[in-house]
Amino acid sequence: MNGTPLIQFADVSKVYHLESGDLTALNHITLDINEGEFVALMGPSGSGKSTMMNQLGILDIPTTGEIFIAGKNVAKMTNLERTHMRRDVIGYVFQKFYLIPLLSAYENVEYPLILKYKKRDIAGRATAVLRSVGFDENMSAHRPNQLSGGQQQRVAIARALVNDPKILLCDEPTGNLDRKTGFQIMDILVDLNKQGKTVILVTHDPKIAEYAHRTIQLEDGRVVES
Amino acid sequence: MRDIFFDLSVRSVRLNFLRSLLASIGIVIGVVAISSMGMLGTNMQLMVKDQLTTGINIITITPDVVRAEPGSSVSSVSGITDIQLREIRDAAGVNEVIPIDRTNTQFSIGSNDGRGSIYGLDPADIKNIMNISEGSTLRGESDAIVGATIASRFDVKIGTRIKIGEPNISVTRPVIRVVGILPAAGLSTSNGINSDNAIIVSDTWYTGQFGGGNVYDQVNVYLKDVGTLTEVEDAIDKKVNRNKDVVRISDSSSRITSISSTLSSLTMFILAIGSISLLVAATSIFNVMMMSVSERVQEIGILLSIGTEKGEIRRMFLYEALILGIIGAGIGGIMSIIIGYSVVSAMIGNTAYFFLPESIVYIPAGMIIGMIVCIVSGLYPAWRASNMDPIDALRSE
Repeated sequence: MNGTPLIQFADVSKVYHLESGDLTALNHITLDINEGEFVALMGPSGSGKSTMMNQLGILDIPTTGEIFIAGKNVAKMTNLERTHMRRDVIGYVFQKFYLIPLLSAYENVEYPLILKYKKRDIAGRATAVLRSVGFDENMSAHRPNQLSGGQQQRVAIARALVNDPKILLCDEPTGNLDRKTGFQIMDILVDLNKQGKTVILVTHDPKIAEYAHRTIQLEDGRVVES
Repeated sequence: MRDIFFDLSVRSVRLNFLRSLLASIGIVIGVVAISSMGMLGTNMQLMVKDQLTTGINIITITPDVVRAEPGSSVSSVSGITDIQLREIRDAAGVNEVIPIDRTNTQFSIGSNDGRGSIYGLDPADIKNIMNISEGSTLRGESDAIVGATIASRFDVKIGTRIKIGEPNISVTRPVIRVVGILPAAGLSTSNGINSDNAIIVSDTWYTGQFGGGNVYDQVNVYLKDVGTLTEVEDAIDKKVNRNKDVVRISDSSSRITSISSTLSSLTMFILAIGSISLLVAATSIFNVMMMSVSERVQEIGILLSIGTEKGEIRRMFLYEALILGIIGAGIGGIMSIIIGYSVVSAMIGNTAYFFLPESIVYIPAGMIIGMIVCIVSGLYPAWRASNMDPIDALRSE
C-alpha cells in the first residue's frame, strides 16, 4: 500500500442537461478513498448516490474535475481502456444481481475470466471463487432464474471477484434479500475487505452501513459528512 | 475453444426458437428462389445450347444475292453450279459435301392442301445425314420422306400419297409416296436442313419436276472436326469467291451466340425476381434482430458494465444473425435441390443438365448469398447494441 489513495475525486461535478434545465447531480466533490477501506455511501433519493456510483464504476465521466482510479485519470482514458478497467480493476455487485440470464451460475462467474484471458477457465478459478462465497456447487449448472435471491447474489459476488479486482462496488447488495440472507452477504463482504479488497457500498439501511469503517453522507450532490 | 459469445447467440436463438425459425424461413424462401430460378435458367440455356451445337459442324453455302453489274446482263441461272460444287469439294477436302435442291411448293394430302419446302437430295447422301424414325430411306423414283410437323399435321402414314404442285383441274399433278418419316428436330438442325416442315425426294425426281439439273440451291459441308470451321470456310471462300462473291458461306455459330445471350439475360431477369424474396427475407431478419436487441437491452447493459468490449457485443449479435442465416441457408439448400429439380423437370422437361456444375453451383451460391444477406441485416442491430450507454441500458426494464 503506497501513499496515494486508490480513488481520488478532485473537485468533481456532474451536470445533466435536461429539457427542464441543468441538473447538478454532483457538486464539486473532493474525496479520497484508500486501498483496503470499507466505505458506506449513504443519502436520500436524488442525493447523487447513483451518479457517484457510475463515476466510481467508470461507467461515466465527470463534467468538470478529475477522477483518478488506481492512479489513472478516468476522463483521459479511451473507451476501450475504460472497458478494460471495468473488467480488471472493479467488481460490481448490484441490488438486482444482474446475472446474465442465458448463462448458468458457473458460466456467469467464468464470463469475466473469458473477457480477460480470451479463453475458457481451465484452472478451476470460477469454481474456487464460487466455493469461497458459500455457493452450493450442485447448483452450478442452474440458470439465474432457478436460483434464490441469496444464491444469485453469491454468484454475483463471485463474478465480481473472479478477476481479482482492487475495488468492490456494491449498489444496495442486500436490497432485494431478506434480512437474514442480507447479513450473510454482508459477512462475505466484510471477509473480502479483511482480505484486502476496497469495498464501497451504497445503502439506505443504517444497520448495513454499520458494517463499514467510514460513511460518506451525500445530500444534493455534496458530501455533508465523511 | 468455443466462443462464449457464440454460445450466448446460440442460446438466444434457442430461447426464441419459433421467432428465429420464422425469420429463417424468409431466408429459406430466398435461397430456394435464387437457386431454383438460377438453375431453371441455366438448364434452359444448357439444353438450348446443346440442341443448337448439334448443327454447328455444318457450313451452309448458298448463292449470293444476284446483283446486276452495269452494262452486263444478269446471269440466267441462280444457284450453285457444278463447277462451283467441284471447287467446294476441292476446298472442303475430307469433309462430306452434299448439294441440295430446294424450293417452296404447294401440295395436297388427301383433301388437305399445304405448303412446305421440298428438298431434292441424292438418296445415297440421305442416310448419311438423316435419322429416319419410321419407315425407310428413298428407294424408288417417286418415294418421299416427310418431316415430323407435316407428318403429324396431315396425319401422314407410311404409304400416304402426296400430290405436288398447285391444284389445277387441267393438269394431273405428280404423286409421291411416303416411305419414311423424320423425327421432330425443333431448334436443332443437326443435318443442316429445317426438316420438320420438309418433304424430301430424290434429286432425280426433283430435277424431273423442277428442273435445274446442274444447279443447286444450297450446298452443305459436314465437318468431321468442328475446330476446322473457319479454316474450311476460308478455303471455300478463297476458291469459289476468288473474283467476286458468288456464294454466301454461313454457319450457326453466330446464331448460337445471339440465342445464348438472349437466354442469359432471361436468366438474369428471373434471378432478379428471385432476389426480391431475399430482400423481403432481409427485412424479416432485420426485424428479428432489432427485437432481439431491444429485448436484451438490460443484458447488454450488464455485459457492457462488467467490461465487455463493444466489438464483443457486436460479434454476439452478428453470430446470432449468422446462425439464422446458417439455419435458413441449410434448409434452403436442401429444399433447393428438391424444388429446383421439380421446377426444372416441370418447366423444361429435361433434368439431364441439373447436376452439371454450371447448374448445381446455384445452390451453394444461393446459400452464401442468403448468409450474406443475414449478416448484412444484422449489422445495424449489432452496431446499435454495442453503442448503447451501459447506464441507460442497465436501468431499462
